Amino acid sequence: MTKAEKVFYIVCVILFGILLVSIFRLQVIQGEHYKQVAESNFVRIHRITATRGEIYDQKYRPIVQNIPSHNLYLMASAIQDLPALARFLELHFELSPEELNQAIFRNRFRSYEEILLVDNVAFEKMLSVSEYLNYYPELSFRVDSTRQYHYPNHFTGYVGRINEREYDQHRDEDYSINSYIGKTGLERYYEVLLRGKDGREIVQVDARGRSLGLFKEGGYEDPLHGLSLVLTIDNDLQDFAMRVFPDNVKGAIVVSDVRTGGILAYVSKPEYDPNLFMRRISPEIWEDLNNPNKPLLDRVIHATYPPGSVFKPITLGFGLHKDIVQRDTRLSPCIGGFQVGNRFFRCWEHKGHGRTNAVEALMQSCDVYFYDLSLQLPLDDFKAYALESHLATKTGIDLPNERNGFFPDTQWYFKTFGQNIGIQGHKVNLSIGQGEILTSPIQMNAYYSAIANDGIWIQPHLLKQTVGRAILTRDEVDKLEKIRLPLDNDDLKTIQDGLYAVCNGPKGTARSVQVPGATTFGKTGSAENSMGDLTHAWFCGYIVTDKPEIAVTVFMENAGGGSAMAAPIARQIFDYYMGNIEDIKRAAPVPAQFRHEEIPPQNESQDQIEPTESEDGIEEMPEQDVQVEQ
Amino acid sequence: MINRRKIDFVLLALMVALIAVGCVAIYTASTTVISEHISTANYWWRQLIFAALAFAIMFVILKLPMPIFDILILPAFVLNLLLLILVLFTPAVNGAHRWFSIGGINIQPSESAKLLTILVVARYISKENLSDYRRMAYGFGIMIVPVLLILIEPDFGTTVVFWVALLAMLIASDIPLFFILLIISPIVSVIASLHWVGVLLWIAILIFLLIRARLSWVAITVSALINIFIAMIMPVFWMGLKGYQQDRIMTFLDPTRDPLGAGYQIIQSKIAIGSGALSGKGWLQGTQKNMNFLPEHHTDFIYSVIGEEFGFLGSLFLLSLFFAFFARFIRDIGKLKVRERKVASSGIMAYLMFQTFINIGMNIGLVPATGIPLPFISYGGSNLLINTVSVSVVLKYLNERGFIK
Repeated sequence: MTKAEKVFYIVCVILFGILLVSIFRLQVIQGEHYKQVAESNFVRIHRITATRGEIYDQKYRPIVQNIPSHNLYLMASAIQDLPALARFLELHFELSPEELNQAIFRNRFRSYEEILLVDNVAFEKMLSVSEYLNYYPELSFRVDSTRQYHYPNHFTGYVGRINEREYDQHRDEDYSINSYIGKTGLERYYEVLLRGKDGREIVQVDARGRSLGLFKEGGYEDPLHGLSLVLTIDNDLQDFAMRVFPDNVKGAIVVSDVRTGGILAYVSKPEYDPNLFMRRISPEIWEDLNNPNKPLLDRVIHATYPPGSVFKPITLGFGLHKDIVQRDTRLSPCIGGFQVGNRFFRCWEHKGHGRTNAVEALMQSCDVYFYDLSLQLPLDDFKAYALESHLATKTGIDLPNERNGFFPDTQWYFKTFGQNIGIQGHKVNLSIGQGEILTSPIQMNAYYSAIANDGIWIQPHLLKQTVGRAILTRDEVDKLEKIRLPLDNDDLKTIQDGLYAVCNGPKGTARSVQVPGATTFGKTGSAENSMGDLTHAWFCGYIVTDKPEIAVTVFMENAGGGSAMAAPIARQIFDYYMGNIEDIKRAAPVPAQFRHEEIPPQNESQDQIEPTESEDGIEEMPEQDVQVEQ
Repeated sequence: MINRRKIDFVLLALMVALIAVGCVAIYTASTTVISEHISTANYWWRQLIFAALAFAIMFVILKLPMPIFDILILPAFVLNLLLLILVLFTPAVNGAHRWFSIGGINIQPSESAKLLTILVVARYISKENLSDYRRMAYGFGIMIVPVLLILIEPDFGTTVVFWVALLAMLIASDIPLFFILLIISPIVSVIASLHWVGVLLWIAILIFLLIRARLSWVAITVSALINIFIAMIMPVFWMGLKGYQQDRIMTFLDPTRDPLGAGYQIIQSKIAIGSGALSGKGWLQGTQKNMNFLPEHHTDFIYSVIGEEFGFLGSLFLLSLFFAFFARFIRDIGKLKVRERKVASSGIMAYLMFQTFINIGMNIGLVPATGIPLPFISYGGSNLLINTVSVSVVLKYLNERGFIK
């Protein structure tokens, strides 16, 4: 036997000797003790759910709040008689045995955690069922909180129980199987801010409440409550916009503050009530939510439409930008239409408008001017210009799943219609916002807002700031994008004059839109489409007092002409705004609970734990936010 | 190419027995019994598939002509180093860059690095006419490359395995034992510095051993002084650390200080094993397992399931199996005459034995949790593959006995 062998033998014997002795001690000498501990294994980690942040309008009036709810939990590993339990749950909670089995099966490898079986149990129900719970020790009621949405809307979205896919997706982010997670809207987009961080508590007492003394110390971690959001939404204006929109019409209204880009009112019709999703949804309700009118569809950002004439300022802007036309250049006379090759494109006014310049063309919405202009515009540059003006591309509003819209280019036409296609005719259509082009109401609103704001485009957004554990402005959460539209000052002035003429000129298409105390600017649109016989009605515009105030976009699906349908609604909103301008603009006092210096207990407790870490947590939030967006 | 008479069927049989025990343990570990509902995750047959694959690779290795095998080692090692660099650029999982995820299968290059580094180090430190110092320098110089890459990942536990293997290889390459003693003496000094009695005892033992090794008095004095110095400086160094740094080290040494993290797992594991008592709770009947207090108990904490369901008798059986395996392994090392092969086999034996000790020790709360799996038993494809391949390399060496290199 060599020396090395000897050493190896000795080491091997020593190591296994150590193991054997330790295991003997643990299993044979202390075995009885551990058996008792195991019988009532009370060593488990209990999660302390962080309170989810609430959502307020710009004057701290609630939009989404937490209210208490009674939830029924199941401890799967304590089930004694499964068939009886299944019958009980089916009788009282309409929970089918399959659903119960599924819930248990889903959590079979996490059975040390309680499963949230039924949420939002009605109080009466809870009282009536409570007496039976003695027979089912595996069931227990607990008070948690649920969300209350104060009015139907499309921007808050709603929360729901985390599903298997989301749980896997966020594996590293400390969700429990019972967690709620934002499913859509702001709840989803700002999930990271709203959620906070759950606390932990280790429970290590035996059945008689005596500490087992298995751990040295510690075992408690405070939950960090979620941040509440203060939105740019004004509840009064939002309410007015909701009411002013006619029933039985589908569409959207966006009202935004020109100087900040913040959205004051965000309406998509028909609306749905997010509170429905806080309870089990019956098949009838689900069917109703998926009726042909698609109330779940957010028509502000999730749907794109041909913009029609409200797109004309962009066409004009591109012509001016390229120096193809000047302010006073008059193009071919409008004789009720325009001949391109062997096709005759009609103007909406069959009588014709005669020769018009830029401002007159916008005022009367003369199609021929833009037909003629489009012939001189290279298509791919036109697309690039439109994208640069942030049309047919995402605005980056703080809501999930925004749609891009669409603007075709040469390549696309060749691919779709073959190499021999003439592009001229399509370009003519695009110049008046018809044909293949698709934009969303939010994109149009942001563009008109930028025209009002002297050419500075600001990313539309709903979040003004957070309150609670940390006060973060929107720029601190995620920097707002601000760009200059590709327009020089003269070009901008020409477009503004054109929009002024639409509302104030002698032949303007929206002369009804006038408000005392402010100057109105705007553009109507009636977009033909394949969805119905009637055109989509559009109105985009803004008002200026001594400075630009608000930009309003009204969109109505298959409702008719823009000047007849959409413009009057915009006028009412302008009227309402001017009538209540002081109320709307007055900064609301910060309610006591959000004044930072007045909530020292919470701050102090955090500081004591780890002053550097809690700051880090807040600093990191914007970065984490990026993950949510994607 | 395979000489039947020279295959060590006993070692092979012991390994197969360990893998079989592993599959049984994984089956019960991934089975949950709720009332009369029994559900089993599919881990155990996945492990079987990996085992079959491992035996196929073993067959190929045994068939491979020795010269080709020898030539392949170095390029494979370089390729492995490249993979260790590449893996640093993968997205982090649980804060570490350790895995390539290809089609749902996770590949961990640090696993194969263990075997390949051992083979390469063995080759270079076994060259003839090397002084002892060069031998140590070469071994250290090669070992440090993968170790640094793995430290960046970061994966501290795995790097310790490398050093243990190097130590065993140096011993097998006939480096005088007092060198080994000198190498590990500072580590022992640090541990001994926890208590002054420990320091005195350790220094006494050290001097005694060095005298027995017939070292010069100068060398003995210097090494004793260095170790006393290290033992004395530790408390000073300790006081110099900030509170949270002390906390972190203390939590590493004593996980029960962190009840919400590693301590929770160790306590649960101890409760499970301890409550198994003498004869265990029976097949599939482990209450602690069924309650799933321990997440992922089919991997690192699989021993806790064995201990709970089969009790001390089961533990004794498992330990005996492991002990027989390693005893046979050491006996086989003695049979190898080519120095490089003997050294490589020692490294392989050491890393397997060290992992076994650390893993079981971690399950019973003896050593800090480090995330090292139990060889042949824990669920995990790449781990099982590499362990089996390592043993087949040794089997191949045994099979090639008598050929002159």
